[in-house]
Amino acid sequence: MNQSDKSVFNTLAGDRSEKADLLHGVFRELGVNFASGVPCGVLRHIIRNFENDAAVIHVLANRESEAVGLAAGAYLGGKIPVIYMQNSGLFSASNDIASLLIPYRMPIFFVVSYRGCEGEDAVQHLTTGRATERLLESFSIPFEVFGNQNLGDLTRSLFETMRKAELPVFLLLKRGWHQ
Amino acid sequence: MNRQEAIRVIMTTIGAQDVVVSTTGLISREIFEKFDSERNIYVPGSMGLASSIGLGLAMTQPMMRVVVIDGDASLLMNLGSLVTVGNKEPTNLLHIVLDNGAYASCSEERSMSDTARLDALAGEVGYQYVRTADSQDDLKRAIMEFGRGPGFILAKIELGGRRDFRRPLELAAIKNRFMLFLARQTQGD
Repeated sequence: MNQSDKSVFNTLAGDRSEKADLLHGVFRELGVNFASGVPCGVLRHIIRNFENDAAVIHVLANRESEAVGLAAGAYLGGKIPVIYMQNSGLFSASNDIASLLIPYRMPIFFVVSYRGCEGEDAVQHLTTGRATERLLESFSIPFEVFGNQNLGDLTRSLFETMRKAELPVFLLLKRGWHQ
Repeated sequence: MNRQEAIRVIMTTIGAQDVVVSTTGLISREIFEKFDSERNIYVPGSMGLASSIGLGLAMTQPMMRVVVIDGDASLLMNLGSLVTVGNKEPTNLLHIVLDNGAYASCSEERSMSDTARLDALAGEVGYQYVRTADSQDDLKRAIMEFGRGPGFILAKIELGGRRDFRRPLELAAIKNRFMLFLARQTQGD
């Protein structure tokens, strides 16, 4: 993580991200037309793109569990939803994923910011950071951590896995992913 | 009015095309046993999310009426949802809360709904139609008079009643038949 990305937590930067725009384009190509979640600075470009796209119904949630419920309702109503949240919130919503989305076999795409990794400067993220991948593994749900892969290919492939498995899937994005 | 009576009034008064999202525990189990239908979605886990699921449905299916059958403790578990509903103003959402003042599906531990004035709260956060019902007649009238939502009906019920209902287990099949039902409705079939 470089210094400019760190500083964003203390400022409200209005910059664009080519990667976030690419991801949004891939979402739209895959039919995504509903989004709900709880904001995280790491995901700000993604959230702004949902908010600015009239073809996407975007509903901010008060808590991550609520976003799971909203997206589940939208899925039942025929939409293709994306849920976004920080990995801290993933732990809040974990039972809703386990007891609603998995037994109902609802394929819903999650974009989760991955705090608590190497270079983390906030102690409150360290425990959930260490546990994030193990939580998803223990639920037997597919996930990918974005690193050097092609983001568009990775997203399309994860979507395909989601549709085949009829399970929620998770794309984890670390700080600085958007640069 | 007890739970059995309230559920019977709701399920026999709402429109035949209305969809139903029911909350965790005995409410869903009683509806599943007595009024199972392709238009129903049960929320057996993820307690508190019935109103969120109902809102997601109502926003994406504006031509369908969505009836959420909630409990007092499950509403309190996801109280922020009330604010979200008020903010999004889905005119096709009717949120009915069966209030027995307890976690009746557990061991009837008391909830805090008796000091909460949930109906006033719903009105304050933007629900457009708010009623309370203490009797079967009141509840029936409140449902029949519902026009433009979001609507909120606080139905006071007695604690107690049958507990030995079977559970909805085949959730993927329940989802599939629900989505087929919606597809038929929206195609005007």
